[in-house]
Amino acid sequence: METMIDSRMMMTDFLTALFDKLDVAGVAVMSKLPSGEKTAFTLFTGKDDIKECVPFFPAMPANAARAVSKFTRQAVPSKTVAVFLRPCELRAFTELIKIKQASFDNLLILSYDCSGVFPFQEINLSDETKLNAYRDAVSTGKNCEGIRPVCAACTRFTPQGEDIAISFVGRSTDQPLVFSFPSEKGLAAAEQLGLDVSNTVAASSAVESLAQERRSAEEELTAEVDASLSDTQGLVNVFDRCVSCHACSYVCPICYCKNCYFDSQTFEYFPESYFIRMQAKGALRFPVDRVLFHLGRLSHMGVSCVACGMCEDVCPVNIPVSQIFKTAGSKAQALFDYIPGENYDEPLPLLAYAEQELEEFED
Amino acid sequence: MIKGIWVEGPVKKGVLDFLNGLLAEKKIKAVLMPAKNKGGDSYAWFLMGKDRLLESADPVPPVMTTQGANVVSYLTKKGPVWEKTAVLLRPCEYRAVIELAKIKQVDLTNLVLISFDCPGAYPLEKYVNGDPEELDESFEVCLGGVVELDGPRNVCAICHRFTGTGADIEIGLMGGEGKGFWLVPGSKQGEELLDGAVGSESDNIDVREKAISDRTIARETKRNNTLDSFQETVMGPENLLNTLSACINCHNCSRVCPICFCRECYFDSKALSSEADNMLQRAQRKSGLRLPPDLLLFHLGRMSHMSVSCVSCGACEDACPANVPVSMLFALAGRNTQAVFDYEPGRRLDEAIPHTVFKFEELKDFETPYIKEYSKV
Amino acid sequence: MANNETDIKIVAFLCNWCTFTAADLAGTSRLKYAPNIRIVKVMCSSRIEPVFILKVLLDGADGVFIGGCAPGDCHYSKGNFYARRKVALAKTLAKSAGLDSERIRLSWIPASEGPRFAHVVNEFTAHIKELGDNPARREVYI
Repeated sequence: METMIDSRMMMTDFLTALFDKLDVAGVAVMSKLPSGEKTAFTLFTGKDDIKECVPFFPAMPANAARAVSKFTRQAVPSKTVAVFLRPCELRAFTELIKIKQASFDNLLILSYDCSGVFPFQEINLSDETKLNAYRDAVSTGKNCEGIRPVCAACTRFTPQGEDIAISFVGRSTDQPLVFSFPSEKGLAAAEQLGLDVSNTVAASSAVESLAQERRSAEEELTAEVDASLSDTQGLVNVFDRCVSCHACSYVCPICYCKNCYFDSQTFEYFPESYFIRMQAKGALRFPVDRVLFHLGRLSHMGVSCVACGMCEDVCPVNIPVSQIFKTAGSKAQALFDYIPGENYDEPLPLLAYAEQELEEFED
Repeated sequence: MIKGIWVEGPVKKGVLDFLNGLLAEKKIKAVLMPAKNKGGDSYAWFLMGKDRLLESADPVPPVMTTQGANVVSYLTKKGPVWEKTAVLLRPCEYRAVIELAKIKQVDLTNLVLISFDCPGAYPLEKYVNGDPEELDESFEVCLGGVVELDGPRNVCAICHRFTGTGADIEIGLMGGEGKGFWLVPGSKQGEELLDGAVGSESDNIDVREKAISDRTIARETKRNNTLDSFQETVMGPENLLNTLSACINCHNCSRVCPICFCRECYFDSKALSSEADNMLQRAQRKSGLRLPPDLLLFHLGRMSHMSVSCVSCGACEDACPANVPVSMLFALAGRNTQAVFDYEPGRRLDEAIPHTVFKFEELKDFETPYIKEYSKV
Repeated sequence: MANNETDIKIVAFLCNWCTFTAADLAGTSRLKYAPNIRIVKVMCSSRIEPVFILKVLLDGADGVFIGGCAPGDCHYSKGNFYARRKVALAKTLAKSAGLDSERIRLSWIPASEGPRFAHVVNEFTAHIKELGDNPARREVYI
């Protein structure tokens, strides 16, 4: 456990200090949109622009790892840019670094223990009641009612691999920020910020109580998903409404392919093929390969799935995509003893092997 | 050409009987049309024809799950079907099929396009979250064209091209008051297929024509008024940005759009990606840059790519996870751009897409009269 | 249509260097084995993607068989190690999605072992017969 330091700074002071003391070229953070209701991940380059920032606002309109990937993929910034990432976004970002879709060069990564988010359609800046309930839940270390099911069952809500961690769960947002600095970059930043390292703060017990609640929620969710997918009938039922829009893949931070395999010519057939298949079954459902898309996508990105929940937020027919992907993904990850986003040095499971392993799958 | 055949009785059953009849007589070999999904809470498309149609087949479904033109494109993109296949389409789906045929994403060979007087559709979200049985029932009431659908999608409420004019066979529902329907041939092929159909030679079809023209006039006025007042709320970059503020840049509107056929969308391409420093500069210039950038450009650019062909089918809005009024935005853009070229998407197959043709003398309003200005100086 | 013996369909992905050669040997040695497999030859078992396996199952084949060189004997030195991971992933996902992972089998059969190939195919076919038809085969709504 890193030492936690009371910074004696409020969020605005901290954001200003990033520009003044750390001389960052920019800060990428959730901020209010001019409409006054919605938020978006935004890049700022001056301390005068940061008044609209709401780093902890409980909505994820897009997985920020995707945004930061687009930001760094072609060429990294020439000066340090600070980026706020939720733990799941940070894990996705780490996975993207492994597949060369992002880089952390010249990035200062800020993260915090996350209390989950609401489905982005269901939360506005003016929803005082919901936001107050959320604040209460944060300070007491409970799941707030109405947050997404995958968030409520997320057991990896503390960040991994960040430079500066802000302690969020168990604290009140109107008190000074509490930091820890797990990396070299972070320690250097602490020095530049001129923090008094003797102001240590104890870890909040709320983190552990939230972790407990989350673990039992995760067990429940797993059991529920397993029950719904117990046989082929279950599989058909779960994806019965899917319209093959592939929105889930488009917002997925891990699905980085510009041309998705499932949109490729591989899955376009000659008309005769459709007719033969229709003759065999009596009727052929269109679009074809609809269920295959989901299972195939699982096979492509399931081991890297960070359960960020974006897929479920965008599904136009309310399929519990991310609950399914979280559950199936965890099983695939357990198979290779792999935790996505834990360490950027670790190779992806399908790019590695051991000579002696997985004996139960061969003969 | 015969004017139409009147088939008395329940509409949906009558249409299925007609199609089953065509299959039995081997006049067609297959039918591509929607049917209820397994859970009965939504619809999907099915290619059928091994023997009979599925019991759950529904020629006039209350929702649009996948745009029919996309489905026809899946079926025929790689080449024509070998055997005669009937396709049941909403009028907007039919028009999108014609637009896709123009850009070679659909092969019409051996297809029999059948459309109907469309009562509109419910928003997909409303249907999957609501009580399907109840909604089915209230939809059924609107089939006769007397009652307007309660709570349809925004674009359906202002749809002024709700008949399948141009299709091989039109299923006339308007004016039938739910007591029956007309089978109206729209082509030689359609007429041949109607030969021997069960029903009576129609002497009452002018009832339908009257009902259609009444509703068309009402809808045109409503459409123009609605779009005009909508235009006022979105005019100017600021208003437009506010309208789009919920947009999360997921591009799902373009993925479900039948006209947006590109496998790799320009707005996902490298053309629009840039270095981090470039984005920092943009952020500096504008006191903040939304990431990923180019949200407004995506919508406006997409309008420039496809609005002349936009058939106002509303698939974009159904698929939008953020409830942005995309379909209204594109209906508006489409109305305005189509007027410039006097183009109506899906009207006729031989009508060229405006970007691909020109006249020597046209669009004078868009040119600056250079010589005149020059002579003033 | 239940369990008509010839109706069972097994798709077999066989690596060019070992298992396909073994199948060839079984044929030239006139060994009799169950006629239910349809062979797809691939250059290496690592060519098999989990998607292939899942596609085959969802489209209604009753079994999927993947054959490759024994570990350490891969013609490309380590392809089969990757193949094993991919098959393991496919089986795990199939299971968590409600498909019967018993319908997927990975076997290492060296080129010289024709009889073993025949034996494995018979054994797997018998096992699939026991499992019965793949429910996905006649499922219209999939």
